[in-house]
Amino acid sequence: MSLVRIPTPLRPYTEGKKEVEASGATVMAVLEDLGLRYPSLRSHLFSGNGGLRPYVNIFVNEADIRGLAGEATVMTDGDRLMIVPSIAGGRGAEALRPVDHAALRTNQAVIIGFLLGAYVADAPSLVAVVGALMLLGSVRGRPAFAAIYRLLRAMGRLRPDVLQDNPEPHRFAQLLGGVVLSLGALAFVLGAASLGWGLTAVVAALAGINLFAGVCVGCALYYWLARVHVPGFSKSPPPGTLPGRRPTI
Amino acid sequence: MTILLPAVHVREIGLHGESAYPEEGAGVLLGLIEDGDLRRVRRTLPLPNRWEDETRTRRYRIDPLDLLDAEEKAEQDGLTILGIYHSHPDHPPRPSDFDLERALPFYTYIITEVRSGGAVESRAWRLAEDRGRFEEEGLTVVPDPMEDR
Repeated sequence: MSLVRIPTPLRPYTEGKKEVEASGATVMAVLEDLGLRYPSLRSHLFSGNGGLRPYVNIFVNEADIRGLAGEATVMTDGDRLMIVPSIAGGRGAEALRPVDHAALRTNQAVIIGFLLGAYVADAPSLVAVVGALMLLGSVRGRPAFAAIYRLLRAMGRLRPDVLQDNPEPHRFAQLLGGVVLSLGALAFVLGAASLGWGLTAVVAALAGINLFAGVCVGCALYYWLARVHVPGFSKSPPPGTLPGRRPTI
Repeated sequence: MTILLPAVHVREIGLHGESAYPEEGAGVLLGLIEDGDLRRVRRTLPLPNRWEDETRTRRYRIDPLDLLDAEEKAEQDGLTILGIYHSHPDHPPRPSDFDLERALPFYTYIITEVRSGGAVESRAWRLAEDRGRFEEEGLTVVPDPMEDR
């Protein structure tokens, strides 16, 4: 049996006790036994994959287990185990940048318009052009139809709607749309017209969800990829914002 | 869910954030839990930011041994560690996803925005029981207790 010292923030889960008993042949076994004795403590010691949470530091008889055998450190009767949190945090993501959401919405409206027009006029080549412009825009880091937005702004028909946001997810969303439309264009070339129109409809529908419901599915996908640490996807949603939604502040 | 913070400690937390700028500064809040869930801060204890690399401008880490030491100091004075304070240089005083992943239950996290080197606003947060988010805690600035005057 080992004596385990519980840090203040975890005492509410051990009936307020500062020291409790648990048994096991190794550090990990003692902690797992502790989790069985105090089930509500478990989620604060272990993360979803069963490993110890990053803030959990374990000392055995005053020695950090990282200098011993880690979680496999052997425990003998009467050993004293201390759980000491290391506290970490910080503002995390890089600073947000101004993103003009009026330009994004104009872009979506123009994309929907051209794709609908392409369908009505049975003009697959227009789908290919829109797809190519979207790919080009993503490479240049701006909306494909930024020129139309600038024109409408100059005419006084639109006003900027600048929000503190991450530009990368929007760029990724446009890239995704461009790729899907390019696949659609390829389908037309290969004679699979219904597949081509199907892919066109997907892009038009996602642009519509973005324009009318304010949900950027491509951006949400970007944030999910960032969450699972896919290289090249590093940004987190702006504070207080669900992935893919417009920033609230 | 409210934390009472005497004005002197608001200034201390702000000054610590300003002196650490552009890096993040952090420390612990010592005090007592009064009837129900009312928390009263009696002392603040600045601690070194031990984050290992140059990203201390957006990260902080309090070493376990520093925290253990602080816990012992608190107990000597009959106090308890109520929570942690840290600064967000040029960033709103809201917890980040990074804060959320590493947050401990029970602690009150006071975050202070330090904009261009000046402390602007402090807000208090506590980890929700399901660990999925932070809940904002009331932060009430109270007059300094007599012994501090």
